[in-house]
Amino acid sequence: MRRADAIAGAALFALAVAFSAGALKHYSYWGENGPGPAFLPFWLGLVMALLAALLLAGAWRSRGPEEAWLPRGEGLKRLAGVLGATIALVALLNVIGMVLGTALFLIVLMRFLDRTPWPLTLTLAAAVAGINFLVFTRWLGVPMPLSVFGF
Amino acid sequence: MDFLSNLGLGFSVALTPFNLLMAFAGVVIGILIGALPGVGPPSGVALLLPLTFGMNPTSGIIMLAALYAGTMYGGTITSVLINTPGESASVVTCLDGYQMALQGRAGPALGIAAIGSFIAGTFGVVLLMLVSPALARWSLAFGPPETFALMLLGLTTVTLLTGDAPVKGYISMLFGLMLAMVGFDIISGDARYAFGIPEMMDGIDFLPVAIGLFGLGEVLAGAEAPKGQAIPDVRYGLRQLLPDAKDWVRSRWAIARGTLLGFFVGVLPGAGPTIATFLSYALEKKVSRHPHEFGHGAIEGVAGPESANNAAATGAMVPMLTLGIPGSATTAIMLGGLMMWGLRPGPLLFEKNPDFVWGLIASQYIANVMLLVLSTAAIPLFVRALRVPYACLMPIIIIFCITGAYSLKNSVWDVGQMLVFGVLGYAMKKLGYSPAALTLALVLGPLAERALRQSLIISDIGLGIFFMRPIAAVLTVAALAAVGVPMVRAMQAAARRRGAAS
Repeated sequence: MRRADAIAGAALFALAVAFSAGALKHYSYWGENGPGPAFLPFWLGLVMALLAALLLAGAWRSRGPEEAWLPRGEGLKRLAGVLGATIALVALLNVIGMVLGTALFLIVLMRFLDRTPWPLTLTLAAAVAGINFLVFTRWLGVPMPLSVFGF
Repeated sequence: MDFLSNLGLGFSVALTPFNLLMAFAGVVIGILIGALPGVGPPSGVALLLPLTFGMNPTSGIIMLAALYAGTMYGGTITSVLINTPGESASVVTCLDGYQMALQGRAGPALGIAAIGSFIAGTFGVVLLMLVSPALARWSLAFGPPETFALMLLGLTTVTLLTGDAPVKGYISMLFGLMLAMVGFDIISGDARYAFGIPEMMDGIDFLPVAIGLFGLGEVLAGAEAPKGQAIPDVRYGLRQLLPDAKDWVRSRWAIARGTLLGFFVGVLPGAGPTIATFLSYALEKKVSRHPHEFGHGAIEGVAGPESANNAAATGAMVPMLTLGIPGSATTAIMLGGLMMWGLRPGPLLFEKNPDFVWGLIASQYIANVMLLVLSTAAIPLFVRALRVPYACLMPIIIIFCITGAYSLKNSVWDVGQMLVFGVLGYAMKKLGYSPAALTLALVLGPLAERALRQSLIISDIGLGIFFMRPIAAVLTVAALAAVGVPMVRAMQAAARRRGAAS
């Protein structure tokens, strides 16, 4: 946990300094009749830099054993699988479309995570894709991404 | 009478078939969401918010408010039966509820929770109805300094009460405020921190952020551990659920105390149902004549907190509706919804949109009755729903996250944003940061900035204006105390530790 604090503290410190500096550089701090667009961002960045420094100092001083916050082995594999499948679905949304994408996503994850029996997997995938289509596309009129096959 | 005619108007709105259906759907989905581990009330509201865009705002808020009430009871079912709280406001219920289940008294535990929730929810609405209009009238006198001071208090208290360490809570809150700065500045028209990306010029929408942090983030946290817990077979007929006379005698004052305590904790900006349950449990243990039974199946330990969380969920609506300041992460998301529907929460809401406010209030009475009926008659159904394996549920929730984020503006950009915040939400949860503080800050940020700048424009003494006007001064001092006290305490503790080590 402490190494995570150190990394987060350093990254946030850099972000905060850039945030404040960027505010002063690009926007006006004080306008004709009051604070300008840079006023609040400048101070927010300053306070954030202070907090990030506190976090960093705390991580520096602590000598306790390192706590693992990311899972290992099986847990990490499951996490990576779910996240990877989600990223793939979002990236391919304009190619495979929402309906087909939903069905494929469900099949992949249900088989991968739990070896869900095929009949249940296929039924659920079809049902969720169908309900999703009916509720959002038909009822709410949301123009969902279509697949290259036109549905 | 003005009051009765308003309530009459409310019921005429709430009793239309569509709104009744929405309240019913809200309660049912709420109980399910509350019962499912990993998705809590904020995720439920964030995920269902996109569905309400096709409705009129009154139907939308009726569904979301009913859902909020439903989640408060849903979490109880898993706490009692499998010792796993479905959401944070049912954590303390595990202590005695699960012990009761082990002693074969799961029925009375669920029953007293249902009855307590009903009583607390209903009295909560009565209090909401009595307190809100007065508070709204009082807050009409608020100028920008008071508004800003109040928002500051809301932000600092939510930070105080969530997250592991104060520093991480404040970092979460400041990060939310920094995100809120992105996009067109309302006064000068500068597109701040947009890097020329058109999607960023309109600012960072809170909905994809909320869906990511609370929906996807929670699901990812649940993904790493395969969950499969056997749910014991219990009979849940009405007779098994009804507490006996002895249970009643022990619980009635616990319910009364839980209701009052819960409501007032809920009203406080920043403190929500979860805090209310912890306080109620501590209170019951203190006033009990047999404190040694707590933790071993004392029914007061279920009745008090379960009443408190429902009352607090209702109480949290008060500052949201009257002042435009949410009292919890869930009401922060509702507030965002209100703004998306084009309503301006705050004192004028009661005058300009009486059908909305009173329709919501009346529908809360109805939702509480529905909740009582469902939570006594339909428990076996909900328990069966809990047996759906997580491997089936998780992909469905993710699909819902994606569809919800997309449907806001029909843009894949928002989906990508949701994904980024999903990963961030996972990391924040694992590392002890506070997604609730981030969300609240993102929603309040633009409003707070405007109030701050308007205050400084009318002020001749700079920041002194926040200390010269009585209401603003009290609020500002309270906000500063909320920041200062825990920081000083943490430093003292650190100094003591160093002293002990050397």
